[in-house]
Amino acid sequence: MSKTILSVDDSASVLQMVKLTLTGGGYSVVQATNGADGLARARGGGIDMVLTDLNMPVMNGLTMIRELRKLPQCTGLPIIFLTTESAANMKQEAKAAGATGWITKPFQQDQLLAVVRKVLGA
Amino acid sequence: MTNMTSVNDRSLVVLILELQGESFAIETRHVHEILDPVPITAVPGADHAVDGLINVRGRVVPLADLRLIFGMPPEDEGRDARIVVIEVEIDGDATTIGIRADKVNEVTELAASSLESTPRIGLRWEPEFITCIGKRNGTFVAVLDMGRIFSRLVNRTQGITPASTSCAA
Amino acid sequence: MSGTDPTLIYRQEAAELLEQLEQALLDLEHAPGDADLINTAFRALHTIKGSGAMFGFDAVAAFTHHVETAFDRVRKGEVAASTSLIAVTLAAKDHIRRQIEQPDSASEAEGAAILDGLQAALVAQSDSTPVPAAAVTWRLRFRLPLDAVAMGTNPLLLLDELRALGPCIVVADTSAIPPIEGLDPTACHVGWEVTLTTGQPRSAIEQVFLFVLDDMQLDLEQVAGHASEPRPAAVAAAVASVRAEPSSARTTGSIRVPAERLDDLMDQVGELVIAQSRLKQIAGASRDIQVKAISEDIERLALELRDTTMGARLVPIGQLFGRFRRLVHDLSRELGKEVALVLSGEDTELDKTLIERLADPMIHLIRNAVDHGVELPGQRETAGKPRQGRIALAASHLGHEVLITISDDGAGLDRARIQQRAEEQGLLVPGAKPTDSELFQLIMQPGFSTASEVTSVSGRGVGMDVVRRAIDSLRGNIDIASQPGQGSQITLRLPLTLAIIDGLLVRVGDGRYVIPLSAIEECVELSANEDGRSRGHSFLNIRGSLVPFIRLREAFDTRTQPDPFQKVVIVSSGEQRVGLVVDQVIGDHQTVIKSLSKLHADVAAFSGATILGDGTVALILEVAHLVEQGKQHDDTRQAAE
Repeated sequence: MSKTILSVDDSASVLQMVKLTLTGGGYSVVQATNGADGLARARGGGIDMVLTDLNMPVMNGLTMIRELRKLPQCTGLPIIFLTTESAANMKQEAKAAGATGWITKPFQQDQLLAVVRKVLGA
Repeated sequence: MTNMTSVNDRSLVVLILELQGESFAIETRHVHEILDPVPITAVPGADHAVDGLINVRGRVVPLADLRLIFGMPPEDEGRDARIVVIEVEIDGDATTIGIRADKVNEVTELAASSLESTPRIGLRWEPEFITCIGKRNGTFVAVLDMGRIFSRLVNRTQGITPASTSCAA
Repeated sequence: MSGTDPTLIYRQEAAELLEQLEQALLDLEHAPGDADLINTAFRALHTIKGSGAMFGFDAVAAFTHHVETAFDRVRKGEVAASTSLIAVTLAAKDHIRRQIEQPDSASEAEGAAILDGLQAALVAQSDSTPVPAAAVTWRLRFRLPLDAVAMGTNPLLLLDELRALGPCIVVADTSAIPPIEGLDPTACHVGWEVTLTTGQPRSAIEQVFLFVLDDMQLDLEQVAGHASEPRPAAVAAAVASVRAEPSSARTTGSIRVPAERLDDLMDQVGELVIAQSRLKQIAGASRDIQVKAISEDIERLALELRDTTMGARLVPIGQLFGRFRRLVHDLSRELGKEVALVLSGEDTELDKTLIERLADPMIHLIRNAVDHGVELPGQRETAGKPRQGRIALAASHLGHEVLITISDDGAGLDRARIQQRAEEQGLLVPGAKPTDSELFQLIMQPGFSTASEVTSVSGRGVGMDVVRRAIDSLRGNIDIASQPGQGSQITLRLPLTLAIIDGLLVRVGDGRYVIPLSAIEECVELSANEDGRSRGHSFLNIRGSLVPFIRLREAFDTRTQPDPFQKVVIVSSGEQRVGLVVDQVIGDHQTVIKSLSKLHADVAAFSGATILGDGTVALILEVAHLVEQGKQHDDTRQAAE
C-alpha cells in the first residue's frame, strides 16, 4: 500500500506539479485548494502526510496546521509547508503552529522527493 | 524529370475522380480509403488549399482542396462529394492527407501503351503536377503526381525569411 | 517473446554493466578511495566475465579476466585507483564493448596493448602508499523536544538517514523516561547516542536534523580520524549490503520492459482516453443513472491509468547526463583543456521519448561549450580564472515544464562579432539594437557561424539550427544568455510530456480550441467598457498591471456573431502574459495530442490538434506564439508612451 499525501495549494499548477512528482515517487496524492478543504479531507482519515502552502484563501495554511494538530488522528502526522522566504520568522511561526518541516519555493522535483522521503520514509 | 518515359513500361492502376467536371487520376498505391464528407475543422492562418482538418478513425488528417491548388474557382459540393484519403511522401516522410473530390468514379487500369509523357505546353494544368497522361474511354486523363503537388505546397508555405524568426519558438 | 536470441539477454545486461562501470570509473577519479565505487567497478567486471564465459563470449571473458584481476588488487587495497589506471580501464571498457557488439572490429593487438597499459599502471604504483580512506568517526548525542513526534518527526527515520551516511552503532538513552504516571505516550522521552563513521562532512550530519535542529539538543564531536584502511571499507560494504539504501531500494523489484511496449501502452491509453471522453459526452446527455455512474467510474479509471502509464514512462535525466561525463572527459583531453562537469537535478524525470530526443542536441551544446566556451588553461590563468573550466548541467521541473540549463564559465559570446555577422547575412538591419536575448537567437539560423575556422569538433555552422529544430520539434524553447569573459548559459524549456494534454476548451465563433491548462493563469470576463475599445490592441488592468489582450475572433477571422459577454483567458509563457478573448469557455478537457502534419507546420498559432468527445477535431493553441504577439503589442504601447 503506498502512502497518501495531502497536497494543499490554491495554485493549480503547483498542485499538478506536486502530484506528478509524488505519484512518480510511488506515493498517492489527494488535493485540496484551501485550508478548509484540506482540514475536511484530513478529517476523513487515510492521510500519511500533508504538504501545504501557507497563503491560501478561505483558510490559510497556518490556521489549517493549528486545526489539524487538534485532531487526534493527526498526532504524529508529518506536515510540511511551502515558504517563499528563507526568513526565520515564518519557519518559527509555522513550527509553533505545529508544522514538522518546510521546503522553500521554488523547489525542484528531487528536492520535494527528498523532503518527503526524509519525513515519511519511502 | 516530369517526362518520364519509363512510365510507359507498365500500366497504372488508378482511381478516377472529378473536380469541377474535369477527371483526374490518382495512382491507387497512394489511396488508403474513400470517405463520405465528415465535419471539417478550420485551421485559421493556413494556406487556403489546406485549411481544414478531419478525424479519420482517431487520426487527425489535413484536408486539401485540389481545386484551389489548381486555381479552379471553388463551388459548393454536391451530393456526390467524397474525401479521398491518400498517403504520400513529402521530403522523405510518409504523410496522410485527405482530398476533396466532387465525385469519385472508378478504379481502373490505364494500359501501358496508352500512357504518354506530359506535354510541356498546351496543358491547362501545371505540368509539374502531372506524372503522365493516360487514355480512358477515349478521352485523356491526367495522372496526378501527389508527392510533388504536396511537396511544393509545403515548401511554398514554409519559406524561411529573417522576418519570420522571433524569440519565442 | 518466442524466438528471442539468448545472447541478447547477456548483451543487454553487459551494456548496462559497462555503463555502470564507466560511471563508477569517472566518479572514482574524484574520489579514489571510495570503497563503494571500487566495488561497483569490480562487480561489473566480474559479472561481465562470468556471464560472458557462460554465453560463449570467450574472448570477452578472457580479456575481462585481466581487468578484473587488476581491480581486485585495488579492492584489496594493494594498489590505488590512480588516474592512469582509470584511463586504461576506460579504454578496456570500450574494448570489451566492441568485443561484444562488433566482434570483428575488436582487434587482439589492441586488446593486448591495453592489457600492457594496465600492467604498467599497476607496476607504477607498487611503491606508493595506498590512498587513505576519507572516513572519520563521530559521536553524536541527541535528544529531540518532547513534542517532536507528535509534531510529525519520526526519530527512526532520522536514524535511518544517519545510517545512510555510513556504518552506525546506535544506543538508546532511556534515562529520561518518566514513570508511568508521568508518561505521555505521544511524547519523545528517548535520546540516542550514535557512533558514526563516514566520509561526509559535519554539515551532512547536521542536515539530517534540519527541521528540528533549532529545538533539539545535539552534541556532535569527532572521535577518531580514519581507521586502518580495510576495516571501515569492509564494514561499510557489509552494512550497505545488509541495509537496502533508499536509492537502491528504488531499483530492486523492477523489471525490464522493451521500450516499444511502453510506446504501445501509451498509444492504447491515449485511445482509451479519447473513447472515454466520448462516453462522457453521451452519458452527460443520457438520463440513465447507471450509465452516468459507470461513465464516471471509467473516467476516473482512465485518468488514473493515464497517470500511471505516464509515470511508467518517466526516466530520470541522470541517465542522459551520465553519458555526457565521458564525452566531456574525452573532449577536454582531446582539446587540451581542463574541464569539470557538474551535474544537478539528475533525479528530474522526463518521458523517455523526450530523453532520447534530447541526446543529440545536448551533445552538440556541450561540445560547443567545451570547444568554444571554455578557454585553454593558459588563457584562463591570464584572465585570472582558475585553470579548470566548469560546465554545469542542471535539470528541474517548473510547473508542467522541464528546465534544463547548460552553463559554462568560459569566455562568453562575442556580441559584437555576432551582430556583425548577422548584419552581413542580412538577418539584422544595420544599426538595429536587439536585446542580448534576441541577438543570440540569431546564432541558431541555418548557416550562421562566427568560427573563423572549422574545427573537427564543432563550428561547422550547421549545428545550432539543427539543435533549434530538434528543440522546436519537442515543442520546447531555447534561450541563450552570455556575459563576456564570464560564460554562457543555455536554457531549454520543454513540456513534460509529448503525449497528453490537460487543457481548457474554448469556443471562438464556430470553432473550438484547446488551451494548455499549465499555461493558464486565470479567466476573467471582458467588461463592456474594455470591449468597447475596438482597436486591435487593448489592455486589461489585472490587479494593477496592464496585460495585453488578443481577440481570437479577429486573429482567426471569425465571421459569426460574437457572444454578448466575451471571456478572457489569461495565459503566460515565461515572464510574459497575454489575455485571449474568446466567445465561450466550455470547460476542462484531457486528451491525447496529435501533431499537425507538415502541411500545417507553418501555422505558428497552433501546436497540435486533439479529438473531442464528439469526434470533431480541435486545434491546440501555441501559447508562446500568442504571448509573443501580445508582447509586440505591449512593446508598441510602451514605445508610444
